[in-house]
Amino acid sequence: MVVPLVEMRGITKVFPGVVANDGVNLSVQAGEIHALLGENGAGKSTLMSILTGLYRPDGGEIYIDGQRANFRSPRDAIAAGIGMVHQHFRLVAPFTVTENVALGLKGGLKLNLNKLAGEIAALSKEYGLQVDPQARIWQLSVGEQQRVEIIKLLYRHARVLILDEPTAVLTPQEARDLYQTLKKMAARGCAVIFITHKLQEVMDAADTITILRGGKTVATVKKSETNEKELARMMVGREILWQVNKPAPRKGDKVLEIKDLKALNDKGLPALRGINLAVYAGEILGIAGVAGNGQRELAEVIAGLRPSQGGTITVAGQELGQCDPCRVINAGVGYIPEDRLGMGLVPNLGAVDNLLLKEYRHPRWGKILLNRRAARQWARELVERFQVKMAGLDAPVKMMSGGNLQRLLLAREISTRPRLLVAVYPARGLDVGATETVHRLLLEQRAAGTAILLISEDLEELFRLADRIAVMYEGEIMGLVATEEASVEEVGLMMAGAKRMEVSA
Amino acid sequence: MRKGWRFILVLLLALMVAVAAAGCSGQKPAGNSQSGEKPAAGEQAKDEKFKVAFIYVGPVGDAGWTWAHDQGRKYLAEKLPWVDANTYMESVPEGADAERVLTELAEKGNKVIFATSFGYMDYVIKVAEKYPDVVFLHCSGYKTAKNVGTYFGAMEEPRYLSGMVAGKMTQSNILGYVAAHPIPEVIRGINAFTLGARSVNPNVKVKVVWTNTWYDPAAEKQAALRLLDAGADVIAQHQDTPGPQQAAQERGKYGIGYNSDMRQFAPNANLTSPIWNWGPYYVKTVEAVKNGTWKSEDYYGTMKDGIVDLGPFSDKVPQEVRDLVNQKKQEIIDGKFYVFQGPIKDQSGKVRVPEGQKMSHEDVLGFNWFVEGVEGEIPK
Amino acid sequence: MVGSSLPGPAPAPLFTWEKRLEPSRVMAVIVPVIAVILALGVGAIFLAATGFNPLKVYQSMLYGVIGSKYGLSETVVKAIPLMLAGLGVSVAFRMLLWNIGAEGQFYMGAFGASFVALTFPNLPAYIMLPAMFVAGIAMGGLWAVLPALPKARWGVNEVITTLMLNYVAILWVDYQVYGPWKDPKGFNFPLTAPFSKAAILPTIAGTRIHLGLIFALLAAIMLTIILWRTRWGYEIRVIGESPRAARYAGIKIERNIILVMLLSGALAGLAGMSEVAGITHRLQHGISPGYGYTAIIIAWLAKLHPATIILVSFLFSGLIVGGYSVQTSGVPAATVSMLQGAILFFVLGGEILTRYRLHFGRKEGK
Repeated sequence: MVVPLVEMRGITKVFPGVVANDGVNLSVQAGEIHALLGENGAGKSTLMSILTGLYRPDGGEIYIDGQRANFRSPRDAIAAGIGMVHQHFRLVAPFTVTENVALGLKGGLKLNLNKLAGEIAALSKEYGLQVDPQARIWQLSVGEQQRVEIIKLLYRHARVLILDEPTAVLTPQEARDLYQTLKKMAARGCAVIFITHKLQEVMDAADTITILRGGKTVATVKKSETNEKELARMMVGREILWQVNKPAPRKGDKVLEIKDLKALNDKGLPALRGINLAVYAGEILGIAGVAGNGQRELAEVIAGLRPSQGGTITVAGQELGQCDPCRVINAGVGYIPEDRLGMGLVPNLGAVDNLLLKEYRHPRWGKILLNRRAARQWARELVERFQVKMAGLDAPVKMMSGGNLQRLLLAREISTRPRLLVAVYPARGLDVGATETVHRLLLEQRAAGTAILLISEDLEELFRLADRIAVMYEGEIMGLVATEEASVEEVGLMMAGAKRMEVSA
Repeated sequence: MRKGWRFILVLLLALMVAVAAAGCSGQKPAGNSQSGEKPAAGEQAKDEKFKVAFIYVGPVGDAGWTWAHDQGRKYLAEKLPWVDANTYMESVPEGADAERVLTELAEKGNKVIFATSFGYMDYVIKVAEKYPDVVFLHCSGYKTAKNVGTYFGAMEEPRYLSGMVAGKMTQSNILGYVAAHPIPEVIRGINAFTLGARSVNPNVKVKVVWTNTWYDPAAEKQAALRLLDAGADVIAQHQDTPGPQQAAQERGKYGIGYNSDMRQFAPNANLTSPIWNWGPYYVKTVEAVKNGTWKSEDYYGTMKDGIVDLGPFSDKVPQEVRDLVNQKKQEIIDGKFYVFQGPIKDQSGKVRVPEGQKMSHEDVLGFNWFVEGVEGEIPK
Repeated sequence: MVGSSLPGPAPAPLFTWEKRLEPSRVMAVIVPVIAVILALGVGAIFLAATGFNPLKVYQSMLYGVIGSKYGLSETVVKAIPLMLAGLGVSVAFRMLLWNIGAEGQFYMGAFGASFVALTFPNLPAYIMLPAMFVAGIAMGGLWAVLPALPKARWGVNEVITTLMLNYVAILWVDYQVYGPWKDPKGFNFPLTAPFSKAAILPTIAGTRIHLGLIFALLAAIMLTIILWRTRWGYEIRVIGESPRAARYAGIKIERNIILVMLLSGALAGLAGMSEVAGITHRLQHGISPGYGYTAIIIAWLAKLHPATIILVSFLFSGLIVGGYSVQTSGVPAATVSMLQGAILFFVLGGEILTRYRLHFGRKEGK
């Protein structure tokens, strides 16, 4: 049996409140391309941070070439031939490619840049990494910058190359080039590990696949012995509790209608490529998908916080104009944003001020002067009704726990009796009890006839709450299924962009 | 955190009030001069001394106007041992602060206060009203009161002489003049300088740049460089620092200083400087106040009185020029020559002072036009 | 950065650190006291090294500020423009608008008031003073709205624009006092003619304390009410604490940028108005020795809190007034400046220390 180039055994890493890695095993042979597959938060990045010396594991061992390794810092890992290309490149923009490669090299003060440039040219030719050694980083495309990162590792004679979601920033053509390069490196005896949650990518490039879920290793399989469907199941396949202890939906009128909606993300790239959706009163429409596929942008466009590039949004027959949060609020749209503290709530203000956030314009608080006493009384009632625990009504809300924050936020959004409630990752980061409360409140709203758009990464949550599930992938709705007819595999496949489904529900 | 700070502020204020209250009650019987005095042995003797104070617009280290006044203060302290002339206030702006500083000095028992800049004028008059027993002397102004006198000197006399030096030494026939504010004092100096220069070299032009500041080393130097760029090869100045002289030195040109002998600051450039010599006047005035013989007056001292003079020549100035200038100086001192005597033409060539006439002292004090040969404008 | 890829609450190391450092509330009081003592101590060493008796110097400083009715009144006089300008910048800062332009707004306020006083010298006081008041506020406000418009429309950085407009305002006033408005009897000195009696703010008998003090106190009360009792103030606070939350709540940020800058500039303009109408009684070159900049430090030190700004203004005013008094004990002006610098350094440094410790302490206290 061949000794693996990299072997990680029983790796455990605990962060306060989170077990990021729980006895993870990973074994990578020289000459293979190994995919590390998993959802966001499955523990992939943590595992690789341990392998590159960024974190120290709380338990477990690392072997390189069969030798026990103990990395105290990234420097040690680099010395052992392990290098990583991060999602966010670590390049100095005003410097040339050569200068960037030279950064951090050992060998005293003497630096022969011309010789180095020649070596870079040779390396880039050998591995098909086209890049001009004299070009400055800011002049390069993202794909070229990635090549520079790879060259940096090759120049340092890295034998283990780790790439964190390498194709996320690449065009399909660039991605194909990258796979070629990775194959060449593997052919020369390197081990390549890449982190991904895209099945397509795995099937295109990997030889072996290790699937992580919830901080644990699910399995390690050869690509030739598996298929997309199986991978999808392993990636998302928790034991879904099918206990639908919720009443049947009393589907009412169409509340939200989205037609051919297009929008850009913060970088100015298309994030929504023609979304069509409808949500009815008294139902929960779940949006599944791996984070970063346009869900956030969708919620923001509905809330009037992001301009649309085309299409229409209609709430209760009234078309919402362009980017006007005030109008959206008045149309009866409640919004639980992804970023609770910072967007949904103002960290340094107290509960009263935070509860007033959307309410303060109401004439009942006074035209110019705010009737603080009345507002306080009202806030006190809400806090009691929603059982929010806090130090005091005026204590900055940033001191509250996540669950209480979310209760406070829900209290405000629900108290206005919205027609439509948009909830983005409403239970993320909450403990079981708080999650339970959030779910209960959402189901109560559903029963009260509110139309709810629930964006979540958690399939369990979606299967439990949603009446219908739409899957978003790269700015498009891959499919729309009724929850009781859907299977986890099906949804998982769509989340990974492997299959487009036309289901009417 | 906010509470903590507010608490501490209140505490500090309370502390201050407490100390002040203690200071007041403890101090009243002791007399009106309390703070800053040396303790014990010297106190008695010191309190008997006749207190004189000065307020200056610049720092005493400006090497110019304020420095010259401070030399006068030191001279006073040296000549009259019964005078306590240790109190001076530097860098007092010519604005609202001046009133407080003057009040404070009067409050502290000073018998004579010299206010050495034009801009203090109105504040001197205001404060003097409240302290009729204190004598205020205001330099270069025009408002007097029963206990306010003004003093100044005929700087035009050494200015004229320095103009002769410049007129003789120039190659380009362009002289540069870095001027502070467009007020009569400065205009008078420019005119005297120009008349002096053209008396020995009728082709000379004097270019003027206003800096709108008495004391700003960087701005003064910058203005001088602009004049040098415009072809000037001798830089004269009505400024309080040697900045313009240093600019001339940098460019290898000549300079005429002001206020004090500025040779040391630009040894290769400085030719000579019209200088102030306030000491004897300060001694004379303080003696008169002490003896009760002082009366409010507009004092305007001349070269004959010694309050103004032409400083030493540098060795760049040839003997024949020195002889020429010294001869004219003697004529002025002897009363045979008056700087502003006709014929004097203005910039347009119009004769403003006909041949054989002299300008009156009032007209000289209120000069608001340039003589022929000056290139520049007086902002209206 | 280390924890960025993880779900869940804030980075862990800070938490533990926090636990070890458990500063009591006493620290909040002790740190500033130590800061002042340290400042005075360092100043004392410096003074002693240059041949002065530090105790005497401090005594004369204190005496100059509060040792007499006159000194005390002068401290108040000097504090008035600081208070108004400080209140002005504080509103803008509260909304994260970095209005560095209080100096220019002060000048324009002084200009506006002077314009009224010089153009209509024969107005009776009951018309003249309100007209000057309005003109001062309007010009100061206008000068702040000028950079607010591009800020609101295109997000043009207001630090640069407000700062640059300071120079424009100062030069504009200079142009007036050197040119068209120069006092014909002023021998070409850069002053306007004195205002008529009607254009002079009433004072407390025997002092120079003028009505501006009332303006400042009223402004502080008004600001307190606006910020904590009105809908507008609520919007300002939300925007200042979290612009994203404000946008989320449908608050019109652009409109508030303009309104808040208007208020900010109006207060600084009022400072300029009360300075010409209360103290100098004419417009002149260099009317403000940097009040607009000192106001920034004051606003920060007071945590942008109106009542605290009033107190801190007195402290700064005392530092300035006392600085001149120290000269009477023979200390040169340069030494005084260094002493003031040392005091400021320690007080500001200590302030930061308090904030950090308390920041942790509060979390801990929960």
